[in-house]
Amino acid sequence: MATKDTGSILSRLPRVEAVDSETRDGVLFALPYLLVFSVFLLYPLLKGLYMSLFDWNAFNPAQSEFILAENYVRMLGDPAFWAAVRATALFVVLTVPTLVGLGLALALGVNQDIKGKRFLRTVFFSPYVLTVSVVSLIWAEMYAPQYGPINYYLELIMSNPPAWLNSFTFAMPAVALATIWWTVGFNFVILLAARQGVSERLYEAARIDGASTWRAFKDITLPQMRPAIVFVTTVQLIASFQVFGQVFIMTNGGPGNSTQTLVMYLFRVAFRQQEFGYAAAIGYFLFVVLVGVSLINYKFVGGSD
Amino acid sequence: MSSRISNRIGRPEPKTVGLYVALYGAALLFLTPYLYMLSTSLKTEEFAFSQQPYWIPPEVTFEWYQAVMQGVPILQWLINTLIIAGATTIIVVIIDSMIAFSLTKLDWPGKRIVFTVIIASFMVPIYANMVPLYTIISDFGLLNSPLAVILPFSAIPIGVFLFTQFFKDLPDSVIEAAKLDGFSTFQIYLRIVLPLMKPAIAALSLYTFVYTWNQFLWPLIVLQGEMSFTLPVGIVTTQPTQVFQPGAEMAVTLIAAAPLFIVFLILQEHLVNAVQMQGTTG
Repeated sequence: MATKDTGSILSRLPRVEAVDSETRDGVLFALPYLLVFSVFLLYPLLKGLYMSLFDWNAFNPAQSEFILAENYVRMLGDPAFWAAVRATALFVVLTVPTLVGLGLALALGVNQDIKGKRFLRTVFFSPYVLTVSVVSLIWAEMYAPQYGPINYYLELIMSNPPAWLNSFTFAMPAVALATIWWTVGFNFVILLAARQGVSERLYEAARIDGASTWRAFKDITLPQMRPAIVFVTTVQLIASFQVFGQVFIMTNGGPGNSTQTLVMYLFRVAFRQQEFGYAAAIGYFLFVVLVGVSLINYKFVGGSD
Repeated sequence: MSSRISNRIGRPEPKTVGLYVALYGAALLFLTPYLYMLSTSLKTEEFAFSQQPYWIPPEVTFEWYQAVMQGVPILQWLINTLIIAGATTIIVVIIDSMIAFSLTKLDWPGKRIVFTVIIASFMVPIYANMVPLYTIISDFGLLNSPLAVILPFSAIPIGVFLFTQFFKDLPDSVIEAAKLDGFSTFQIYLRIVLPLMKPAIAALSLYTFVYTWNQFLWPLIVLQGEMSFTLPVGIVTTQPTQVFQPGAEMAVTLIAAAPLFIVFLILQEHLVNAVQMQGTTG
């Protein structure tokens, strides 16, 4: 492509040639990921917005009808959607504060001068490597009213223990408890690392000043660990908003629709009722809420980083 | 160290006892679901359905393990899961390290925008993309194929983010020196950057493997035939026995949990590091 002339010009301007080959290599090295990223992440994101504006025909997309914002209007007036919002909010409230608080308590405990640190860390972290199916199947049996161990022990101290997964009141707390067992280890190890990163000199200084343990916790531990606490809170909020596997396996959304969360409702609308346009609208709504929650969390709770 | 603070205050003893009771008590509670799974999988039907929880089965049977091996294609599910998690991990490590190298050590127009778009897409949950992604996978004719899971999970940007954090700390002088020695860009990436980044690669590999292995919702959507299931999908969609049996359910659960749990016990330092790295770089 290059003639003899331009070749000689380029050789007289070595910097231009260097930049060119670096640009070429830079793009070549970025290309494989960018391809996968564009096709399987960016493109679906745009296609989802597009689909949400149609009464999408899952079997023959060409026959889809453009309906502008009708899916979103329908969503706002859909009682099942709002029930799913309430169920999701309940799950978030039942899990996030406990997951962060218990994770912090375990981290501060294991950070103390005690024997068996490694053993304790292994035990508290281990459920995190299980898949949601394993967790749900074990807990579903433990909650079983007829032969499960939980109600056996409860019957020793109360006459009528709850039917857990079959109870309108207790199904969601039961799912939340299983979830806490499953994922608190993630917060625990991150907060443990953050606590170990706090300079002991700060505690020495507090000790010399005669500060109480509570003061040291409030004035040193909490502020120093703030970025890590904000991080795990954000991760847990996002994870809990998207809860699916636990409810799908343990309750299938029941009893009634009392544990049908947003992602589960989305799954039903899309893959049981084949309403892809409406499901895409719900998906977009979920996405916007997640971005909003993360931003609010970082802006107002986070402060730094 | 903070125990020294309590020493100063002067009542360390009951506090320390309380701490031990709380932590080891919590550990015991954390272990009971494992014990329940193991003991129930070894119980005869009579004891499995018994009201009284026999934590140690009075009579040990392996019939449920036999029933699982005969009743469901669990080895096929194991192989499928291994292929999906393994391939995703290899692809992620290769393409994420390549682009991270390009974004941190090579200069080209537009790379800032590219980086910003990738980091912003962190927020996109795979669930929000569920429906459009399904139509794309279906259009490609990939339903039921391991690629239906491998490709979307290879697009997740967390590895790009982690690698750029680590590659940034690699001194430019090392790369300049290699250039002067006549190394090509590819040789620099392969012979200098990758060997120096072994810890980051190990951490990301392990994290990606575990993350992909455990996925439930997406494989449930795109893998629809029993022979294409992964372990997490298979064990909840297919019952190992005609009639529900707690022992058989726990046997299939234990078999599904065992491989990754053993990997965890061997490599837990690395996995803990991988998780902690997210917290400190995030």
